[in-house]
Amino acid sequence: MPFISRRHLLLASAGTLGFTGCSRRPAARPLVSVTLASAYTQELYDNFRRILSEHKVQVRGKRVVLKPNLVDYDAAAPINTHPLVVHAAMEAFSALGAAEVRIAEGPGLRRDTLELAEAAGYFQTVPGFERIFTDLNVDQTSLVRLMRPNSRLESLYLPRTALGAGLLVSLPKMKTHHWAVATLGIKNLFGLVPGGIYGWPKNILHWAGIHEAAADLHRVFPRSFTIVDGIVGMQGNGPLQGRPKAAGVIVAGPDTVAVDATCCRIMGIDPQMVRYLRLAETNDQTGEEWVRQIGEAPARVRTDFELLPVFSEYRLRRG
Amino acid sequence: MQLVFSSVLPSLRNAQNQDGGWGYRGGASWTEPTAYALLALAAAGESGEDVARGLAFLARTQRKDGGWPPHPSVDQSTWVTAMALLVLADQPGATGSDDANAWLMRQSGRESGYLHRLREWLLGVQVEENVNYSGWPWYPGTAAWVTPTALTILALEKVSRRKPDPARRARIETGREFLLSRMCRDGGWNYGSTRALGFAYDSYPETTGLPLLALAGGRRRNLEKSLSCAERYLASCPSVEGRSWLEMALLAHGRTPPPSAPIPPAFRNLIDTALFVVARAAAGGRNVFLS
Repeated sequence: MPFISRRHLLLASAGTLGFTGCSRRPAARPLVSVTLASAYTQELYDNFRRILSEHKVQVRGKRVVLKPNLVDYDAAAPINTHPLVVHAAMEAFSALGAAEVRIAEGPGLRRDTLELAEAAGYFQTVPGFERIFTDLNVDQTSLVRLMRPNSRLESLYLPRTALGAGLLVSLPKMKTHHWAVATLGIKNLFGLVPGGIYGWPKNILHWAGIHEAAADLHRVFPRSFTIVDGIVGMQGNGPLQGRPKAAGVIVAGPDTVAVDATCCRIMGIDPQMVRYLRLAETNDQTGEEWVRQIGEAPARVRTDFELLPVFSEYRLRRG
Repeated sequence: MQLVFSSVLPSLRNAQNQDGGWGYRGGASWTEPTAYALLALAAAGESGEDVARGLAFLARTQRKDGGWPPHPSVDQSTWVTAMALLVLADQPGATGSDDANAWLMRQSGRESGYLHRLREWLLGVQVEENVNYSGWPWYPGTAAWVTPTALTILALEKVSRRKPDPARRARIETGREFLLSRMCRDGGWNYGSTRALGFAYDSYPETTGLPLLALAGGRRRNLEKSLSCAERYLASCPSVEGRSWLEMALLAHGRTPPPSAPIPPAFRNLIDTALFVVARAAAGGRNVFLS
């Protein structure tokens, strides 16, 4: 019998209720920070400490799980979350008194996760990487029932490392995506679905509807924090074959929908056109006015990412 | 060869869990690493208590529908059924292989089903991959992909050697056509997608050897481009798993792969360890995927 604790069930249900909710009750306006960072340098360590301080992130005594975007390796393409971003996040959460900081990912295409991590520079940049890393594709799982799902999925086996985290930190790369227009914090959650059960790729999510499944996964993990590596992102035919795009920003916040919507504005994508964001939002987080922005204004750092012709209608109008 | 086995097999045996199965990197037992460990022990000619316990784990975890779950806690049979059948097909008198064979024969990629193709046609969806050939999915109800299709072909071929059956033969050959239809432009394979939105995808070293091995023994085809690609990959592939499949594939097609290092510096998981043993045995003339 698959194990699922009452705590997991309550969390998943609470997330779902929050979104299907009984109502659109007044909610606190989500805080999103946009921090300038022009390169992958040692300055990132200070940047990350400042970002967590701005958001008053409380992780003392908690188990933090960092979930980067690790997909494929091509020396010429910024496909993965940069390893220095992951290490800077790890140091910043440790400095805040986290009981444990783990790195966890379940790549969707390449089965040899550690080879991929090594090729992407994780072993070289993160000391003791293998010891603190969990391959979510073959982690122990619990069956989680999806309450009022958007997709055709009724339940999913999900890794206990992520379900049991005191704080799950999504660390995506800012990229365009050939099916979903953009891949950011919410889409990064696809990497939580275990390939050891669903395969490589995790095709069940595609058949269930990419946008719908992304929104469903977001509901299962309401207690998360998102930090987007937009220092050098990917434009064009992302998430694997696009070209580098230096956006020079780190976008962060506890409301993943609001963070993703802000990233879209920076990328020149209309967040209200992105279906998975509309499905996941509960309090108009895709609307510019509702989000409390700190740091740089998205309009000021906007740098349009090249979009595939099929997404030309998604371009955010200026002004 | 014996030196290789005596260096590697103890760590394989030590990784066996109390329940008779093996985990990916220690930890709880899963079907896939258990099957690979048993294939490695068979390749090394082992037949002791550890093999019996491993087979008992597989017997215990087979589901009523004939398939295997990836992990005993999962309530669904999946592609790992092919892995279990690869083991059981070598075991005289093993129960469960007929049911496993039947389960696999019932599976096919959803994209090649008539209803789905009709729906796509009615909706005017531009299909970029060839969906005329039915392969095998990782998970029931989803599309077919290269790795589960290649492993299922190898498993069904093993069964066919003992029990020839026209229906099974037809599925095997259709599966091989599926693999050929998913070959990338350089002759290698990735997970099973050759293009999207008009952009071609490249192959990977670690996913090129396995389909090439599954194509060995089929009807004669010109695979020169794929074999050249495999040889190129073998010269640079860092992964033990990838190298092992490439070596076995080249051998199966009559090529002589360059000699590998006797023992790699590190095995990252049980599949690396097991496939290394299996590939060394294949180099010595005993390929447990084909024999």
